[in-house]
Amino acid sequence: MNQLVELKSIKKKYGKKTILYDMSLRLEEKQVIAVLGGNGSGKSTFLRMAAGVERPDSGQVVYADKNIRIGYVPERFPNYLRFTPNEYLHYTGRIGGISEAELKQRISSLLHRFQLDKWSDRRISTLSKGNIQKVGIIQAILPQPELLVLDEPLSGLDFSAQQELLLILDELKERGTSILLTYHEAPIFEEVVDQAYYIKDGQLTEEKLVEKDAVKVIEVKGLTDIDVQEWNELINKERRENSLLLYVNSENSDQILSRILELQGSIEYVGNIDYKIE
Amino acid sequence: MKVVIKYSLHDYIRSHKYFPPVSTFIVLIAVFYTYKPNPVVDSYAITALFMFVISAWLCMSVLSLDSPVQRQLLILNLRSSYRYYLAKLAAVWLIALLLAVFAFLYPIIFHLFSDSVSMTVGFVSIVNHLLLAALGICIAAFFSSVMMESAINAYGGLALTVILSIAALGIENALPASLKYITWIIPPATITQKPLFQWEEENLTHLSGFPFLWIMVYTGIIMVLFLIMANRKR
Repeated sequence: MNQLVELKSIKKKYGKKTILYDMSLRLEEKQVIAVLGGNGSGKSTFLRMAAGVERPDSGQVVYADKNIRIGYVPERFPNYLRFTPNEYLHYTGRIGGISEAELKQRISSLLHRFQLDKWSDRRISTLSKGNIQKVGIIQAILPQPELLVLDEPLSGLDFSAQQELLLILDELKERGTSILLTYHEAPIFEEVVDQAYYIKDGQLTEEKLVEKDAVKVIEVKGLTDIDVQEWNELINKERRENSLLLYVNSENSDQILSRILELQGSIEYVGNIDYKIE
Repeated sequence: MKVVIKYSLHDYIRSHKYFPPVSTFIVLIAVFYTYKPNPVVDSYAITALFMFVISAWLCMSVLSLDSPVQRQLLILNLRSSYRYYLAKLAAVWLIALLLAVFAFLYPIIFHLFSDSVSMTVGFVSIVNHLLLAALGICIAAFFSSVMMESAINAYGGLALTVILSIAALGIENALPASLKYITWIIPPATITQKPLFQWEEENLTHLSGFPFLWIMVYTGIIMVLFLIMANRKR
């Protein structure tokens, strides 16, 4: 596979605080890489460097072709925009050099896929957070980019939009697009991501995450942290608004599932995951 | 670039942020011509100075329209920050062009001059308006949200620069001969006033072209500097 973009020894400081220390990453054609990490770890900064919207203090971002088309979904897509989705997408498409005829067809198809048609003539500033996020995603994929950078793209999206995004990412990957993304909703992306890295203390760990299938994530409702506190088989647990995410080695998953059922917990999701055991 | 200009103008109209500077300009012109007499050349020289100040204000508001994230997305789509900023400056200049036409035609339409406006005077006056508009725009770009995060520093810095520019002739007269050259770094907003006041309106050969040329050179230099610095800000 051909290399599409390489970030070489990237360093970035904001004021006196160093966010990224000497980070390097190579992304090849058709590759999907996830950059994970806690809040404030520098994921978004790293993604902005990769998308070319921000410059590193030192280091280099080298693209295979200087005219490479890049799509970028920012962490917070502007929510004050005074245009309708139709107008905004039309402007960004034209600015990106897409012909009028092709643009109309692409916009209408993407608005339809994200079920945004009925909101297409209302001002973006009046739309819900999820619908604004959809506009942010559509503007990034509209130019059929060779490199797509997505900063927490699922933020605010409903289930059907999340599924549609996954389908589109799959299609883009098939077509040759390389994708660099960050997210908190690990199970959803497990089928799309080829490789995941972890940012901690401003450095990107070269260490790959454990093999797929080695760790399962179980989303369960109706149980509390206290119910599972003595389950030593758990690698980790995360409290969500209405549910609990349990991370467990695959070999122990059946045992955990049985215990959940015994306690009359409701199993919402079971899936394999790339998960870094620290 | 044309699409970015169209986008910026469309966004500016929707934002209604044009209202304060444009209405202030219209009121200034209307009030200015209520006093008589109104000699043609002198009056146009004064309204060109209004144009300088209002264009700077317009520029500040147009460049503050896009949030940093929106700016990043537009530059990414356009693949050039230079073209993005040039388009923004061009959008402001187009608005200033409309105001210049208004400032030029208003006294003619309402017969507010004591004399008729010859072609030569009309040409020189409109050029003066447009050059001072461009100067105001490029100066304000340096104090816009693109370059300065603090609004107080931005508006304070711009106000001080504009005041210095307008007071440049007075400053020059007050300075000892050895320090007069310092005024060359002040934006040349009043440099065209002196030759215009002394102009006999006979023909263009009696009017020194140097002040107009100097405004063009000064504007060009600060525009290039702004483009380079704004590009480095990414």
